[in-house]
Amino acid sequence: MLRHIKLAGLIAALLAVFLSSFALAQSFSVSPKELKIDNLSPGEEAGFNLTIHNKDEAAHVFTLAAFRPREDERRVGKAEFPDASWVSFSPREIEVAARSEAKVEVTVSIPSDTEWAGKDWEVWLGVALESSDLLTVELYVRLLVSTNAAGKGRSNTGLIVVIVVAVILLGYGAYYYFRRKARLN
Amino acid sequence: MRAGIISFLLAVILALSFCWPALAADSGSITITMTGVNEISISLDKTQWPLGNVSSDTEYLTSPPIEWCTLTVTGNCNVKTFIVGEDAKWVDNPGAYKWTLSNSGANGEAIYGLWFRISGDTTRGYVPITKTESEFWPYSGGSSLDPGDTKQFGLRLLTPTYLVGGREMQTQITISAVAA
Repeated sequence: MLRHIKLAGLIAALLAVFLSSFALAQSFSVSPKELKIDNLSPGEEAGFNLTIHNKDEAAHVFTLAAFRPREDERRVGKAEFPDASWVSFSPREIEVAARSEAKVEVTVSIPSDTEWAGKDWEVWLGVALESSDLLTVELYVRLLVSTNAAGKGRSNTGLIVVIVVAVILLGYGAYYYFRRKARLN
Repeated sequence: MRAGIISFLLAVILALSFCWPALAADSGSITITMTGVNEISISLDKTQWPLGNVSSDTEYLTSPPIEWCTLTVTGNCNVKTFIVGEDAKWVDNPGAYKWTLSNSGANGEAIYGLWFRISGDTTRGYVPITKTESEFWPYSGGSSLDPGDTKQFGLRLLTPTYLVGGREMQTQITISAVAA
């Protein structure tokens, strides 16, 4: 009886199939390897292109996504990017023919909140080859984003304009006062 | 007359000197800098491990064990490399049955272990592949991979102590790279 149970278990286990297919190579590249956006103000957006070069003999589909790396993987002084959804790809998924390349448009949009002014962030742009193979490759492009203090400056723009106008009017007032005084003398 | 003009000009200059930094910051243009013309790329010469039928609680090694697949840095920049695994899912109904990937490489009921071993990496030996991205080639000592570098590695699978037979299972291991 025990022997029958053991045999049944062995047969059942042997029926499990794990990862059966043929061996294939994967090779593609992404450029540039690193990008830096400076002087981006809260409420603004910046766009650029990534180039995916499929070096294989077959067409492949690539998917793109933003990824927030750990602190020890980021460049020195760079903080974690607050929200990966601020990075968008057009298209997010692209088929690239064999031995050819394609461009993907990337847009970084910072919400118009002064909280995001004067920051230095790093986010990775992941390009993954869509595959059902056991092993697959994903390449990351480092994107360094620096926002300026314009968010705070912009909120003071009205005040600055009022001050400038007031000073000019005072200047004119002083000019006419002295002119009139000179005439009276 | 002259004093009036001078006082007016002084007032304007004074006002502009205070406002200039703010105005300059406000009108700053966005700059996008691409670092060189470098491209990042790695390639693998094998992506599948045709195992066929497997038994429960059994260890499987690629053949050759640690020189089975070759990773090559095919781009023109130094890279840091990472590896991450995932749960193995039943191909016919991924939501209904899975083997959970072990955090330590040890197996259990419906828990399987995966390891990798790089040829020449004598200090680490077999390293568990987990669902958290970890170093593929250890670069903590400054040893990122250079353009043209190759690393041969192999895999080890430890099947669950108990599994449901007759089901084709599928999983994926992602090897990633970023500019060092």
